[in-house]
Amino acid sequence: MRTEELIRTLAADAPAAPPRPLAPRLAVATAVALALWLAVMIPTYGMPAQAAPHGWFWMKNAYSVVLAIAGLVAVTRLARPGGRIGWPIWLALAAIACLAAMAARESMMAAPGQMAPLWLGSTWRVCAARIMLFSIPTFIAAFWFLRRMAPTRPALAGAAAGFFAGAVGAATYGLYCQESAAAFVVAWYTLGIAICALIGAGVGRWLLRW
Amino acid sequence: MTDIESALKEMMLRGLAGDANAHARLLGALSGHLRAYFARRLGPGTAEAEDLVQETLLAIHLKRDTYDPRQPFTPWAYAIGRYKLLDHFRRTGVRRAVPLEDAGVLIATDSAEEGATRRDLAQLLDALPARQRALIADVKLTGYSIEEAARRQGMTPGAAKVAIHRALRRLARKVSS
Repeated sequence: MRTEELIRTLAADAPAAPPRPLAPRLAVATAVALALWLAVMIPTYGMPAQAAPHGWFWMKNAYSVVLAIAGLVAVTRLARPGGRIGWPIWLALAAIACLAAMAARESMMAAPGQMAPLWLGSTWRVCAARIMLFSIPTFIAAFWFLRRMAPTRPALAGAAAGFFAGAVGAATYGLYCQESAAAFVVAWYTLGIAICALIGAGVGRWLLRW
Repeated sequence: MTDIESALKEMMLRGLAGDANAHARLLGALSGHLRAYFARRLGPGTAEAEDLVQETLLAIHLKRDTYDPRQPFTPWAYAIGRYKLLDHFRRTGVRRAVPLEDAGVLIATDSAEEGATRRDLAQLLDALPARQRALIADVKLTGYSIEEAARRQGMTPGAAKVAIHRALRRLARKVSS
């Protein structure tokens, strides 16, 4: 087809396309996926055990929630052609640095024999895997969202989607998790989220082509 | 360059608001810029370059709701063009780096030097009859094929070839004198 003909054909089918803000769309998709997921998980795992939240509960969940916000904004930015990450990457790094500092302080104050319990808790073998498990609904929602958009850096957009999903997964799993040390959270939560981001990058390379 | 950006953005916004004519004019203007951009990287007048122009126009049309009106337009369009070029290299198995340039290259016309050259060129071309001038501009500057340029002027390709040949001879005489 000649280019001029193509242009005529395309212009003949060009209804008004009002711009839509993206962050609410992705947030709603994620909330729906998460609700469906919890409808399955709560009967399986029981209600979250955090009936009376302590200080460390807020520390843990604030960490995941801040990372999730950074991920959400990063995904919506990379969803558009030419989009760059911008400040979310600094927000995420600041959150990690903050928690790492808390973990270092904990470690220095710990008695000699207390170091291993601090960093390994009692659930370090399963923590990253459970975060990945809980990231599944958000992972699906974020990729559904990105496939309708036009990311021009598919691997990076996929990594951001994985990171976002991992952080939401961590925030959800945090409701069940009984660990209370910053050292544990900065090591194993961050590991779980990082693995999700890596998987996202790999999936994005082939699933986000358009 | 900023003039081109604001003109393109204006057409884009009108197109998004439902003005099909503005949308057609936008795609027409972009096809010229894209043709020049792909021609610089794949060689002028190649079939691949023209395929990429069409693919990119289609993508711009289909994904136009991903444009954020608060942002400048050119980087958005450039990102899609560059993405389609990378995709083309990947599909054809060519390992080639595509530098991430400033989006301005898509509509670049006037660095200081180029501006001077452009003025000289404009003076030279002014000496030609209107039709020959348009043909030369389309084929040698924008990168249209001879067939397309001929159609734009309402001529047969044969007549266009003859006209271009004459125009080039005339220009050569003028440069050497």
